[in-house]
Amino acid sequence: MSDINIKKVSYLAKLALNDDKAALYEKSLSEIIEWVDNLKKIDTEGVKPLHNITEKNQNMRNDEVLKKNSTEEILSNAPEKAQNFFRVPKVVE
Amino acid sequence: MTTIKEIKDQLSNKKISVQELYDEYYNKAKKSELNSFNQLLEPEYNKQNIINSQSRYNEKKDLPLDGIPLGIKDLFCTKGIPTTASSKILEKFIPQYESRVTQNLLNDGSIFLGKNNCDEFAMGSSNETSFYGPVINPWKNKNQINDHLVPGGSSGGSASAVAEKICVASIGTDTGGSIRQPASLCGVVGLKPTFGSCSRWGVVAFASSLDQAGPITNTVEDAAYLLNSVSSYDSNDSTSSNHKRDNFLGGIGRSFDRPITIGIPSDYLKDVSSEIIEQIENTKKHLTNLNINFVDVEFTTTDFALSTYYIIAPAEASSNLARYDGIRYGYRGKGDSLEEIYVNSRSEGFGEEVIRRILIGTYVLSAGYYDAYYRKAQRVRRLIKDDFQRVLKDVDFILTPTTPNEAFKIGEKLDPIAMYMNDIFTVPTSLAGLPAISLPSGLSKNNLPLGIQLIGNYFQEKNLLQIASLLEKEFVFNG
Repeated sequence: MSDINIKKVSYLAKLALNDDKAALYEKSLSEIIEWVDNLKKIDTEGVKPLHNITEKNQNMRNDEVLKKNSTEEILSNAPEKAQNFFRVPKVVE
Repeated sequence: MTTIKEIKDQLSNKKISVQELYDEYYNKAKKSELNSFNQLLEPEYNKQNIINSQSRYNEKKDLPLDGIPLGIKDLFCTKGIPTTASSKILEKFIPQYESRVTQNLLNDGSIFLGKNNCDEFAMGSSNETSFYGPVINPWKNKNQINDHLVPGGSSGGSASAVAEKICVASIGTDTGGSIRQPASLCGVVGLKPTFGSCSRWGVVAFASSLDQAGPITNTVEDAAYLLNSVSSYDSNDSTSSNHKRDNFLGGIGRSFDRPITIGIPSDYLKDVSSEIIEQIENTKKHLTNLNINFVDVEFTTTDFALSTYYIIAPAEASSNLARYDGIRYGYRGKGDSLEEIYVNSRSEGFGEEVIRRILIGTYVLSAGYYDAYYRKAQRVRRLIKDDFQRVLKDVDFILTPTTPNEAFKIGEKLDPIAMYMNDIFTVPTSLAGLPAISLPSGLSKNNLPLGIQLIGNYFQEKNLLQIASLLEKEFVFNG
């Protein structure tokens, strides 16, 4: 059995799980982690991690500011806005 | 069967107008009861595009996909058109920009019918995780005629719509099999190009080292038409390859002027049903007639591919989906603090499978587990890539089944691991970043489509489409 602390994991992921859901996901994650644990059987001593298939030919471009969107356009999807800003509850105490 | 080439001929010869063509598909799509579109665009929206397309035909200046009605998986940002990734969290999201892939399709004259349903954030193999409900496969099991079957996933809406012929073709995305598996289950053609072929700019991100757009079509030639449009370099995607693209139509229907060898991996076939093995045997028989040689090959890493994938893909997903916080766009839950808004937006906005994957990803990336899982999986990923390179030194293509089973009943597979097993033959290729195509190869005893997968070397899509087009001619497929 794995040692998954589902409350801690969901806290890190900013997800709230009620007790029923927490139990369900804890069981599900345990099963999946146990299933992927067969990787322990393959020897990877000295093998470099592969982040991306295109590791050798990633393209760089100049970091230039392109003004493609207006403030109005960007804010059009905001759930709440005020003037030219995204609106959120007060953060500073 | 009506192909893009045939439709273009009819449009050029004035046998049909662009408007008539559009109306024909729009009306069929409107009547469809398979839920393969999250949104069908109102005809008014396409009015000007149709007029422009018609005048290009009138002036004999038609573009490569002029007037062709397409479906677009609802994972591509389309400017001014809601893009939901089939998730509640993006229910009201209207992109302010066009994805590179869909921009290319528009530049080539195609007309968008609407946005195809898919699994939520492309996470699923049956299209059952969509916030907009499951998509139904147009095929029926002849022994259980009343059952609704899944179309596969995650590009299930695309595959179902193409199979039902309510759009000429569709553009999907494939992370671990999301183009090929639904194509196989719906009896159509699905191509996942080499990673880096098609820009990920404007594609809602799932696992950025794996996501790749590609066509779902009724014929191999149609897939070549679409790939010609969507495969291009884009400086907005740092993993986009800037090599010169082939004309992918160049090899269609032509025999090879050199001997071709295809490898069949015995380790892929050890646990599959006789029906699936029959597909491989039939393919072999057909291609042997064309002077193509077959050799047995063996991989040493196949048993580890799914585990590797189910660490890497959720890890990348948990990072990519951190952006959905209810602040700048998407669904916002109630809360008196930022923290409450974050948590409530995410907990209420994401569906069950997406939450599962975020949790897996968060766990394997968390302190104390990172090396044991995520780093380990990345090491195995290199071994998988090297394994393919070793095998591809001796053969031109690799032939495997696309899926271990035919389409199954909606609601039948409840266990996540059982669902993940659907992608056992498609995931290794995704991890290696190689191009692969699924072709309908025959029918099961239940009269459901089965498919085979051909895998090529990096950026060899032209050859892959060529061999697929030869094979397509050989299959006697009464679809």
